[in-house]
Amino acid sequence: VATSLFDYAADQLERNTSLDRLAARGTLRIAMKNAGLDIQTLTTVQLRAVFEKLMPKELESRGISNAPVTCEAVMAAIARGAASAESARSTSSDEILKRLGES
Amino acid sequence: LEENAYLTAVVAGCFYMVAGVRLLRLGLRTRERPELMLSAYFAATGIFYLGINAPSIFRFDALPPQIETAIIWLYLIGVFPYLFFIRRVFRPRAAWASGMVAVCGIFLALGGAHLIVESPLVETLDNPWFIIMWLGYALPAMWMGWEAMLAHRSANKRARIGLCDPAVSNRYLLLGWFGCFQTLAVLVGLYWAYDKDVHQVTSSFADALLGGTEIAGVSTLWLAFFPPTWYRNWIANRAVITPTPMDG
Repeated sequence: VATSLFDYAADQLERNTSLDRLAARGTLRIAMKNAGLDIQTLTTVQLRAVFEKLMPKELESRGISNAPVTCEAVMAAIARGAASAESARSTSSDEILKRLGES
Repeated sequence: LEENAYLTAVVAGCFYMVAGVRLLRLGLRTRERPELMLSAYFAATGIFYLGINAPSIFRFDALPPQIETAIIWLYLIGVFPYLFFIRRVFRPRAAWASGMVAVCGIFLALGGAHLIVESPLVETLDNPWFIIMWLGYALPAMWMGWEAMLAHRSANKRARIGLCDPAVSNRYLLLGWFGCFQTLAVLVGLYWAYDKDVHQVTSSFADALLGGTEIAGVSTLWLAFFPPTWYRNWIANRAVITPTPMDG
């Protein structure tokens, strides 16, 4: 289910940084909120964008050195192990709104 | 209503019909329910606006009361797919959203059923049936405005990191504005009822406000469903996408 994708990502973040479990989950949750994402419908594509564009800054602000490299390592781990945790939802609200503007 | 208000209602009615047909064609092509739900609502709204207001603007005899009641029923029935659309798009997994649909549905059903014994409905604040029916179509308008604005806020954040098309994010905003203008229009309806109660006449201010909200609402729908090229380009050009730190 989608929630386990968040759990999996938070576990990987904890494993690749000096953050404890609570801090890793909290940091990821803040990044998700800043990205306007819903944990329940999280996909690996969305997670990748968060780790590419928002997480380096979040980690640097928490004193994690070499944050971009850490994010790459976490993303690689997610790519290896999170395929089964991908959200099954195929029709998102964004897709509906996109269709409504089609002529 | 003054003639200008009738005219804006007829213009809005025509637009709702066109938008309804366009979404129906889209729904038949994609076989997806959201566009069909919205098309049913727009079609019902268009028939309501045209049916109720056209006799005054085109100067033919008022419709028989039974036909008017049937048109109002059609409109009330048309609000149901609108409610389902809002739930499907914005709160597909929330149990409370189903409750909201049920509550609005009860108001609409009670208001519609009461038309059997009282038609036309006396639109005054001391008539509880008017308030019940008013809630039936006011709550969905407010719900749409609220949810679409919230969704726009999230979509805007997603758009900044390349996870949402800026045009889609803007479409949430336009639907939010549409909901807000609809809300303003139904509040004007309440103001009318107050005017009738207290002054025994409706004010030209309310007429002008209603005409303005109808034109504004239709304009936002036009940009949402029939976006011209210049508007698409403007949205695309002002989109800001956060660069990837690793690229630098």
